[in-house]
Amino acid sequence: MTAPIRPGRLRVAVLSFAHTHAASYIRHLAGRADVELLTADPDSAQSPEGELRGAAFAAAHGAAYADSYQEVLDWRPDAVVICSENSKHAGLVQQFAAAGAHVLCEKPLATSVADAELALEAAAAAGVRLMTAFPVRFSPAYQELRGMVRAGELGDIVSVVGTNNGWMPSDRAWFTDPELAGGGALVDHVVHCADLLDDLLGVPAQRIHAVSNRILHAQRGVTVETGGLVTITYQGGVIATIDCSWSQPASAPTWGGLTFTVTGTKGSVRIDPFASHVGGFDALGAAWLPYGADLDSLMIDEFISAIQAGRQPQPDGGSGLRTLEIVKAAQASVASGQPVHC
Amino acid sequence: MKQIRVGLVGSGGITHVHVPAWLELGATVTVFSLEGAEELAAQYGLSVAASLQELLAGADIVDICTPTTSHRSIAVAAAAAGKDIVCEKPVGRTVVDGKAILGAVREAGVQLYPGHVVRYFPAYAAAKEAVDGGRVGTPAVLRFNRGGAGPASPWFYDVEQSGGIIMDQMIHDLDQARWLAGDITAVYAVQNTAGADGAGDGEPARIVSAHVTLTHVAGAISHIQGVWGPPGMDFRTSFDIAGDSGALRFDSAADTSVVRNLPAGVADSYLPPAGVEESPYLTEIREFADAFAGGAAPRVSLEDGIIAVAIAEAALESLRTGQSVPFSTTHVLTSEEVPS
Repeated sequence: MTAPIRPGRLRVAVLSFAHTHAASYIRHLAGRADVELLTADPDSAQSPEGELRGAAFAAAHGAAYADSYQEVLDWRPDAVVICSENSKHAGLVQQFAAAGAHVLCEKPLATSVADAELALEAAAAAGVRLMTAFPVRFSPAYQELRGMVRAGELGDIVSVVGTNNGWMPSDRAWFTDPELAGGGALVDHVVHCADLLDDLLGVPAQRIHAVSNRILHAQRGVTVETGGLVTITYQGGVIATIDCSWSQPASAPTWGGLTFTVTGTKGSVRIDPFASHVGGFDALGAAWLPYGADLDSLMIDEFISAIQAGRQPQPDGGSGLRTLEIVKAAQASVASGQPVHC
Repeated sequence: MKQIRVGLVGSGGITHVHVPAWLELGATVTVFSLEGAEELAAQYGLSVAASLQELLAGADIVDICTPTTSHRSIAVAAAAAGKDIVCEKPVGRTVVDGKAILGAVREAGVQLYPGHVVRYFPAYAAAKEAVDGGRVGTPAVLRFNRGGAGPASPWFYDVEQSGGIIMDQMIHDLDQARWLAGDITAVYAVQNTAGADGAGDGEPARIVSAHVTLTHVAGAISHIQGVWGPPGMDFRTSFDIAGDSGALRFDSAADTSVVRNLPAGVADSYLPPAGVEESPYLTEIREFADAFAGGAAPRVSLEDGIIAVAIAEAALESLRTGQSVPFSTTHVLTSEEVPS
């Protein structure tokens, strides 16, 4: 009972500019002839001074803007892209799913497992598609790795190390707000690698151990964890560790990156989807000119194409829920000092 | 300087990097081994001793390169004979073994240094100097990786004998983590094994990987991954050290000091690829030999070796219990466990 799609252009709304990926999503959506775009950021009134939000953000990116979510609902969107603060994701999923809109939600899907389950239930009840924003899934490097694993070129998978290290988010204060973000680096940077593991292994996590600390950026008065190491044992025995630390120094020429090393019985493959760049030096120091596929563009394309074709886009809400369960188990492990069994 | 007489015990893989180092230092080397002594002696022009007693009688320094469980009895015998000792890591199979060696060495008034050679690999030594110099600020998150084709000798895969990958291979990086970020308060470990591709039923699992997470007293956290992979897999190590004012990174595969692009190909080798710099084994053995001759204390002590074994033992306990295991260096060194 998928909601019917009106002929012609798909009406897509970007909800909230709390997450700065909104700018990229707006750019890719606005560039499509098959999409009509509307944006709204009503909670921007509560955002700190100096953060470009609301109508000014929409104007800067050339997007049509509505003053309230009700105005967006009245516009009857076919689909929405949720870029709010983490703690507000699930409420918006429920609100707009109930109105018949398919949903692409920024990661993490929610800040509690209960909220994520409500989001999945709301999408199922309304017959709309729920997708979680994990752009790394679309990287050609990951697709190459996935193909090699599926073809058996690595043999049986034994062990995985993923790293997702970056600058500490500083263009939006809520990223380090324990309530709005749901935590720090564990919440921000575990889910991308956890999603790749979820896709690659296709089996549930059984035991999760995590440690974290607040040494990095301590001088900035951060109250959430800035460094973390999460070790997951999966059904079948595969062991995996994710380094989620905000450990890219501010002086680095690029934001950070993600690496994913898979070791199997035939050897190992390491991918570094953000490695492609031209290097060098400019007047400020090291230069970093990234090149390669635009992962946000590929992800938006999957969302729109799937909706147009009436199929489920991937990664779906289930991956959003399972990766959040890993984050919550990691937080519980940090609190107890012992591993958590799933 | 008087010519050094080295008594080498064992003839396995590691002797092929120890022997050239001793010869480079002008030492004469006599080897005793239950097997392979004649071949090793022929290859390098060494003498052969027929027994450990004969070896000890004609040596000033004993270099122990045998399987782990024999370290204790050989080291105790060498100490009792008044010899200074180089002992491959792990210094003992257990902390109890290590402390028995420590007792024998103190009793005899001789020196023993464990072969934690990674402290002598130039990239790791450079990182240590930078971290100690405050280059990255307070260490926060550290990662270490070490992997390649698994060892050829079957005893490595017998946990009773070798302690497995954590005790035998990852002990290098357990020691590195402690060297760089200080003492440890908790250890968590997981391990996974699989049969090598094409291995028959009943053959030991030859593909092994373990992950160890360390929590340091000062608050840093470290992750160590070890891999014993399939035959032919390139040996590779890496580390990442993030502190509150900088980050350091090293990957042995990214060393471009010599890049070969030769159609004839390069033969597989079990040992780490030889760099263009001085062998770290030579740097290590020279530093030990200088200490034996009355020079400065080396950068690694017997106590460091025992603590590394203790961290590995805690990791093995974590594997058994599935729990994070509390750790105290002070407890390791002061507890009253009486060596049996």
